[in-house]
Amino acid sequence: MNRAVAVARMQLINKWTFLGIPAVIIGGSFLFSLVIFALIPSSVGVKYSGAGQAVMWYFFGLGIQSLTLSFPFSQGLSVSRRNFFLGTVGLFTVLASAISALYVVSGIVEKATNGWGLQGRMFAISWVADRSWFVQWFFYFVLMMFLFLLGFWAATVYKRWQATGVLVMSLSFAVLVVAAIALITWQGWWPAVGAWLITLTPLSLGTLAFAFVLILGIAAFTTLRRATP
Amino acid sequence: MNTPIVQVEDLCRSYRDVKALDRVNLTLEQDKIYGLLGRNGAGKTTLMSMLTAQGFPSSGSVLVFGEAPYENERVLRRICFIRESQKYPDDFKPMHAFKSAALFYKNWDNDLALSLAQDFQLPMKRRIKKLSRGQLSAVGVIIGLASRAELTFFDEPYLGLDAVARQLFYDRLLADYSEFPRTIVLSSHLIDEVANLLEHVIIIDNGRIIVDDDAENIRGQAINVAGTAARVEAFTAGRTILHREQLGALQSVTLDGALSTAERREAQELGLEIGSVSLQQYVIRKTLDAGLSPGGTHQGTQGADSKNRTGVAR
Repeated sequence: MNRAVAVARMQLINKWTFLGIPAVIIGGSFLFSLVIFALIPSSVGVKYSGAGQAVMWYFFGLGIQSLTLSFPFSQGLSVSRRNFFLGTVGLFTVLASAISALYVVSGIVEKATNGWGLQGRMFAISWVADRSWFVQWFFYFVLMMFLFLLGFWAATVYKRWQATGVLVMSLSFAVLVVAAIALITWQGWWPAVGAWLITLTPLSLGTLAFAFVLILGIAAFTTLRRATP
Repeated sequence: MNTPIVQVEDLCRSYRDVKALDRVNLTLEQDKIYGLLGRNGAGKTTLMSMLTAQGFPSSGSVLVFGEAPYENERVLRRICFIRESQKYPDDFKPMHAFKSAALFYKNWDNDLALSLAQDFQLPMKRRIKKLSRGQLSAVGVIIGLASRAELTFFDEPYLGLDAVARQLFYDRLLADYSEFPRTIVLSSHLIDEVANLLEHVIIIDNGRIIVDDDAENIRGQAINVAGTAARVEAFTAGRTILHREQLGALQSVTLDGALSTAERREAQELGLEIGSVSLQQYVIRKTLDAGLSPGGTHQGTQGADSKNRTGVAR
């Protein structure tokens, strides 16, 4: 059997981590939202819930967990770092595709049923939901991949350079952000930035995020290649 | 039989100013049980990490099954190395760990794993995090044995195991080894307990290999002579003395090298008692010896440079 697939199966041996907990989060946040939709008087019009993002934050944690918990063990079983990466990230890619599809379908149902009969909006976020199903799916998918890989890479950096590494990484990121803000302010580019932000669509933002996903993936892989258990 | 499985040349590994491994040269042959002996921090785990590509050498070369092991699945799939401080996923129970191992080792024997778990009285449904030190060791031992990997490392496998469980491990290891021969490296500092299992002994100290020899040869490497001080001194004059102990008028001396038949007769006539030196005593003497001479010896078993030192100043 392909050993990358074996890694994915190893990650699934305890069903809770990759399947159970996301299911509970999505189901739970959906039910809570329904209750709250029902409590709010219908006179307010459309009721928005941000609960759809709950599971995305779990994916950030999942990225950290799937590395810190399983990487040292996989090394004991003599799995190459490459196959560990392919198996783990590959499994998440499948999971993210499935959950994104679930979001798209739920969004369609939500709109068709007038927000579950309660004028609620949890899956069909207005900015995204009026696009084609593929753009919606792509947007959710990239967002999930981004958060997962961010956690995965941060955990890899921690594995290799401990707290110092994470600190250096966060500080350099902060310096970059501040430098960018300073540059924009100094050059008087804020109106241009504002105009650019308005032109962003789910597709263009998704494509941009997708570029980040690729960079994060490559960074995580290169860091992992030299990590020790 | 004599196919080299592992070839190590000039292997060095330093952590900042500490030399964990210092110019190690080593060859492991197929289907033998090796003992990797040495004190805590001598470099045993570091060496095994390099051989399994879990760690990275600072310099030197490592070949396993004739190839570099790093990221090389052809090599890695034939190796099992559960370290003494092996981490398991937090939510894993022993049965999960065994299921995982079964995914990666084509010769995995699940019946063996289950029967070992019973022998070690391992609670299969308790989280590994909550296991006692001994039970944790048992998980590693079971994975090591049941994986039947062609090159298997046991890193201080007996930690926390009681005497019965340790004996059980040694027995099951030998039984399975005779049925499915493979190369086994047993790292240990409980030397006398494993002495009978070992076919070949590698002693490592301060990152250097100070002894690399067949267990048979080592057993005759040193000998103990005891008797009244004057007679012992007369008998041992001019020989390499590894250790000397004085108790009143009696003296006990550990000599490097074996005695000839004539020497044995002579000793008997002098009324001296001749005893064998256990592997553990030998390792202790060799290690202390290496530690006390400047820079340590890396001469191998012959200890040629200590031939000139007859003193007992240490």
